[in-house]
Amino acid sequence: MYLKLIAAIVMGLGVTTAAKAEQGVSATEILIGEVEPLSGPPGLLGIAYAAGTKMAIAEANNAGGVDGKKLRLIVEDDGYVAARTIPAVKKLIEVDKVFALTSLSGSQGVAALPVVVKAGIPVMASIAPIEPLYQPVNKNVFVVGQSYEEGSYQLVRFLAKQNPGRKWAALTQDDDYGVALRAGFDKARKEGKLNVVFEGEYKKAQQDFSSEMLRLRSSGAEVFLAGGIIAENAAMVKELEKLNYKPVTGIFWPGRIPATLKLMGPASEGVYGIDYVAADKSEAVVAFTERAKSLLSEADFKAINRYTLVGYASTRVLIEAMRRCAGNLTWTCTISELEKTKNFETGVMGPISFGPGVRFSSQQLHVMRADFRTLSFESVK
Amino acid sequence: MRSGNYKESVAELIALSDSKLVWGWSALLFAALAMVPYVLNSYLLSFVILFLITGTGALGLHLLTGCTGLISLGHVGFLLLGAYAYAVPVAKFGLSPWLGLAAAGFVPALFAIVVGVPSLRLRGLYLAITTLAFSFIIAHLVLSLTWLTNGARGIRVLRPELLGIDFDSDARFANLCLVVATLTLFAVLNLLRSRVGRAFIAVRDNDIAARTMGINLSAYKLHAFMISAFVSGIAGALFGIYLSFVSIDGFPFLMSIEALAILIVGGLGSTLGAVVGTVFIVLLPEVGRLFLGALGPLAEKLFTTGAHEMRTVLYGLVIILFLRFEPRGLVGLWRDVKRLWVNWPLRY
Repeated sequence: MYLKLIAAIVMGLGVTTAAKAEQGVSATEILIGEVEPLSGPPGLLGIAYAAGTKMAIAEANNAGGVDGKKLRLIVEDDGYVAARTIPAVKKLIEVDKVFALTSLSGSQGVAALPVVVKAGIPVMASIAPIEPLYQPVNKNVFVVGQSYEEGSYQLVRFLAKQNPGRKWAALTQDDDYGVALRAGFDKARKEGKLNVVFEGEYKKAQQDFSSEMLRLRSSGAEVFLAGGIIAENAAMVKELEKLNYKPVTGIFWPGRIPATLKLMGPASEGVYGIDYVAADKSEAVVAFTERAKSLLSEADFKAINRYTLVGYASTRVLIEAMRRCAGNLTWTCTISELEKTKNFETGVMGPISFGPGVRFSSQQLHVMRADFRTLSFESVK
Repeated sequence: MRSGNYKESVAELIALSDSKLVWGWSALLFAALAMVPYVLNSYLLSFVILFLITGTGALGLHLLTGCTGLISLGHVGFLLLGAYAYAVPVAKFGLSPWLGLAAAGFVPALFAIVVGVPSLRLRGLYLAITTLAFSFIIAHLVLSLTWLTNGARGIRVLRPELLGIDFDSDARFANLCLVVATLTLFAVLNLLRSRVGRAFIAVRDNDIAARTMGINLSAYKLHAFMISAFVSGIAGALFGIYLSFVSIDGFPFLMSIEALAILIVGGLGSTLGAVVGTVFIVLLPEVGRLFLGALGPLAEKLFTTGAHEMRTVLYGLVIILFLRFEPRGLVGLWRDVKRLWVNWPLRY
């Protein structure tokens, strides 16, 4: 009799402990937060990423939410300044008391890593999948994407195969993004014994590339790796157009958005890109855009680009892990379920997987080609 | 509030304060600042830390621009040098944080000679452009010396352990920043009542007259550059530790503008102004957010999703308004309030 009573009390305590709500979880809703640049030039990427998160949340809410509770998103702008990323992350965790974070800004997120690691909150940090976010591994920080180094390596290998024996040129930015691209380029160059006739580095936010492009033309380069982001790539291609010179050009996913093609104008036709999310006119993205019409506001719908797909996929993984924790929605359970994610399909990129000691879902890359008429990129077989 | 201000000796004249009340209030403020980190949540605490680090850096610029009249747009260069001078020996070579902090002061001070010497014959806008160029050169050096600085990849910095105290917690780190800021404040106040400080002010007010009085302009201008760089370097190191990551991206050019804005808003040439200006500029975005929040959710959303642009607009607006309507800054307003209190109901 006494044993039964003690067992009942212990079980009761257990139930009480299990039922203790984690921060950000109320009877009716679950708070989710994210930090990203929403203003200034990088805002183009952050706003699109946030639209993807909103889309994933809207879909989840339409399907009954998580554990019968609706998800609500709080978005903070850091303007892509590290000193502002930290207070923004702290505000979400300490003041708004969100349950999880769906973005930790871009490379600025590295500065906020100690804050989230110390807090132990589940974090999806996929807007800029840079190595310090997932290497060394932090238990609660998950990244979906591909490394810039690998992207650069794959693109150069592809272009080298398509253009054997041609002269090469590469121009990269003087930051960690540029360093990663250069590392991938150098690896492929060594492997393929490429004939590099021009290479250089430009200062971040540089706008005038007349001197570099003139030197590129003089070198006789036939294949060009443009290592800029948006405005820089557009300025390089426009400058080459002015010089009436059109080498085979390759760009990377941060610039693989309609805005870049618009800025480049007709000179963008045929520019190669590489990405781990589906091509713009693929069935998956067309279906996604169709669904987005009814789920997003007009402003968010207009902002859709590849970052929307990244935000969507990354948030879907988190929501799925939270769903698996129904009845015991805690940080521990969510992190554990995220770790168990295996081949999770989101429709907009390859299957996503994590594992014990693996916090980076390395996504398969695809080479694409720009179509100026439709301001989109199409898959290249 | 006291109404008399009669001094009988030089010692009384140059004393930091002859009022026990002022000392009492200052001690109380220090005690409160030492205690608040243990009461505030980490979000509010991040503002306290930012205020203390920014204040230290602003005091550095105050010595150069406010007291000596040498306009610098390259302040961020000294902050960056300080951050790297700390990060390289401590995080990369595993040396003592004490050595890192010393390097954070002395390395920028040495570089200050490099920028100071060519600047001796320059004034006003020309000097401002030279210092601006200096900050770009420093950024380029940091990116180029990859073997030392890791280039664009940056250096991860851990919180230090000093005197057996682990500064891993934000509250303890805030206390460390408070000690550094307080020591800097006392150093600046003491310097300004010394021969060197009076020479700085003489150079600012009229350098030809200062030279006539026997002040060596070159030496004192270099002194100002070096002391300012030393203080700014320490602030840069603290900022790097706070960010836990030292890279070029963490030190944008806007920081130089913010530092100048602090001095203008606070009151150019006033040490109290540098402190008050720091509080104002650090809290301005948050006050703006609260104000818009009171107007309704739509207005609040404007600040949340366009925070960076709104902040820039606010900084610009505040600088314009102060330059137009109150060039003496917040300190000028404070002096008016004091005068009004003492003389009321009379006007003068």
